[in-house]
Amino acid sequence: MSMNNLKKASLAAPAILLLKREAAGGVTVGTDDAKKRSRDEKRSRDEKRSGAEKRSRDENREAVTKLLSKIKDNSDQVRTEGWLGAGEVGAAAVKPLAKVMTDENLEVGRAAKRALWKIVRYTGRPNAAREKRAVEARLLELLGDEQPVQVRREVLWMLSEIGGQNSINPIAGLLSNEQLREDARMSLERIPNRGAVKALKAGLETAPEDFKLNIAQSLRKRGEDVPGLACVKLVPTKKTNVKPAM
Amino acid sequence: MREACAHKENECQAGDVELKQKGNKTMKQSNQLNRREFLTAACAAVNIPYFIPSAVLAAPGRTGANERLTMAHIGVGGRGKGLFRELEKFRQTGAVKVAAVCDVDENRLADAAKEAGAGVDVYRDYRYILERRDIDAVVIGTPDHWHGVQTVHAAECGKHMYLEKPACCTIEEGKAMVAAARKSKVSIQVGSQGRSQPEAYLAHRYLVNGNIGHISRVDCFHYPSPEDNNPVPDSDPPPELDWDMWLGPLRWRPYNKRYCHGTFRWLLESGGGQIRDRGAHVMSCAMWWMGADGTGPVTVEATGTPPKKGLWDSAVLMEVTYTFKNPDWIMTWTQMPEEKLPPAEERTGEEPGGKIVRPGYGAIYRGDKGQFIHWGGDGGTWAEKKAREWEPPAGAKDVYKSPGHMEDWFKGIKTGAKTIMNIEAAVGVANLCILGNLSYILGRKLQWDQAKQEIVGDEQAQRMMSRPQRHPYHL
Repeated sequence: MSMNNLKKASLAAPAILLLKREAAGGVTVGTDDAKKRSRDEKRSRDEKRSGAEKRSRDENREAVTKLLSKIKDNSDQVRTEGWLGAGEVGAAAVKPLAKVMTDENLEVGRAAKRALWKIVRYTGRPNAAREKRAVEARLLELLGDEQPVQVRREVLWMLSEIGGQNSINPIAGLLSNEQLREDARMSLERIPNRGAVKALKAGLETAPEDFKLNIAQSLRKRGEDVPGLACVKLVPTKKTNVKPAM
Repeated sequence: MREACAHKENECQAGDVELKQKGNKTMKQSNQLNRREFLTAACAAVNIPYFIPSAVLAAPGRTGANERLTMAHIGVGGRGKGLFRELEKFRQTGAVKVAAVCDVDENRLADAAKEAGAGVDVYRDYRYILERRDIDAVVIGTPDHWHGVQTVHAAECGKHMYLEKPACCTIEEGKAMVAAARKSKVSIQVGSQGRSQPEAYLAHRYLVNGNIGHISRVDCFHYPSPEDNNPVPDSDPPPELDWDMWLGPLRWRPYNKRYCHGTFRWLLESGGGQIRDRGAHVMSCAMWWMGADGTGPVTVEATGTPPKKGLWDSAVLMEVTYTFKNPDWIMTWTQMPEEKLPPAEERTGEEPGGKIVRPGYGAIYRGDKGQFIHWGGDGGTWAEKKAREWEPPAGAKDVYKSPGHMEDWFKGIKTGAKTIMNIEAAVGVANLCILGNLSYILGRKLQWDQAKQEIVGDEQAQRMMSRPQRHPYHL
């Protein structure tokens, strides 16, 4: 049975059972009544589901509020407890935490960053694909120009651990950003799908001369031949001012 | 190299400019070159577009058994300075000559230049040392995050190496280091020198002769990693430090004085905390004495307590369990409060290793006929009295007795013999430390496939087996 048929069958089942039960009791029930009851039951189920979703949203909001309160607390102990418990709060906390990452209180900002990482590490666990995709989606919203560079840089590395196909284009878009291109390149290098390789190849086509070797290196790491761009490890660096002893 | 550049300077092409690579614009601040410096360096890059193994030095044994080794020191502060001084006795006997010293901190470099004396060249960038064909071997005493890249580069240039432990920071680095060393056939000694200590030999011999029976468990103990109780905001790097070069393969970030020097150990990405620092000593002894080099655990599970503030993020307290199969045994690594550490043995100071001066770490070996304990595991390794006093009966098994960690390395260079802490063994031990930290970071148990050198069934953990490196500081 296909998944759709299975869903239809399970939705229809209560009405059929009702008809059978009433028929056995000698009561004649019209088809319209059965349909009405079926509709009522569906409405009731929808209301329950909607209620559950609302409760879940409320709980999530509450969890995020609690988390942020702990992260902003003056106590080292409370902040640490806060970020250590952030994993299960999940996607809903991603954007609010990103805002706190740049808090003027150094330790508050640091706790927010650690909380974000905790979420990334928790949702990256095996068999949590849906949670992971939800967190990925929130992280992608933090790659825009309106975000501080330090947040975007951190997010690129988070995506290098859990990003999938959806992350490729937004990250690739940053290969032309002079402040973030190296982190974007490294993030793509780590995402293990063909889309990342394609994006690097496309990036190489349009990269300025002073960035081509960087992308070429990522492509080599991904097993690609990059003709014409040798693996250069020795590049000019500033010489020391120290003189040898005489 | 400087002569070569002088000859070639006017041969530089306009297109050479593409060799001046940088990544994010924000990371070039400390890497600006004037035109003359750039042209000189660009020439070097044109001459050697990638490292070519030295024709003279690539094969062990090519350095004659009685020839003096010409060496360079890469990283000459902290432990690097200690290594420079440890080699003094070999310089005095004429076994070794130092040709160059290198550091990214001008103050440290100036000190080393002064200590090394006349005729020793100075460099900020180790790659210019690797180019020199007159240098047989390098001593690498840089922070851990540089070990993988520098080892691979040095092997590609045919240099023998003494590499400070831990061997590597990622699984990928370890694989590349082993591959590069095998290809170039250079001799590498990694600085887990506990294996070469006199009492380590006694402990090893005592254990392999079944004195405590079949050993099914080794519990390594260590005092906690420190917390940063004096966090400071990011700032400009001090003028003497080439911050970009110090970071090397790590992703760029603003300077913070709590990163270095020495304190890099307390950051997971650069030092890894006590487990990667002293774990590379204590677990090195365990793998050697258990005959477990070349094997690995099937599962690794870690828990820990993070610091409550500051830049440092390695676990303060920590407990890791490594489960080995075929043969079955368990190794644990525990960073515990000092009051829970096993008490150190009373000694007279007349023992082979003298008094126990570092009682805060070691391991307890648990067998079906008893247990054995040692303290330390690095340059100081102290075995329990019963192992020191054990007289081997006729027919007892003997084990390799290192002539000394440096001497064992020289033997490797001159004969091609495997060093006591060869790169394969050292990577195996570093992998234990890395996997312990990965499990702690991820908060879950990891499955490890030793044959494939891979984490199994956890995509995120698999991605974290490698860490993309900044150009051009890559494997």
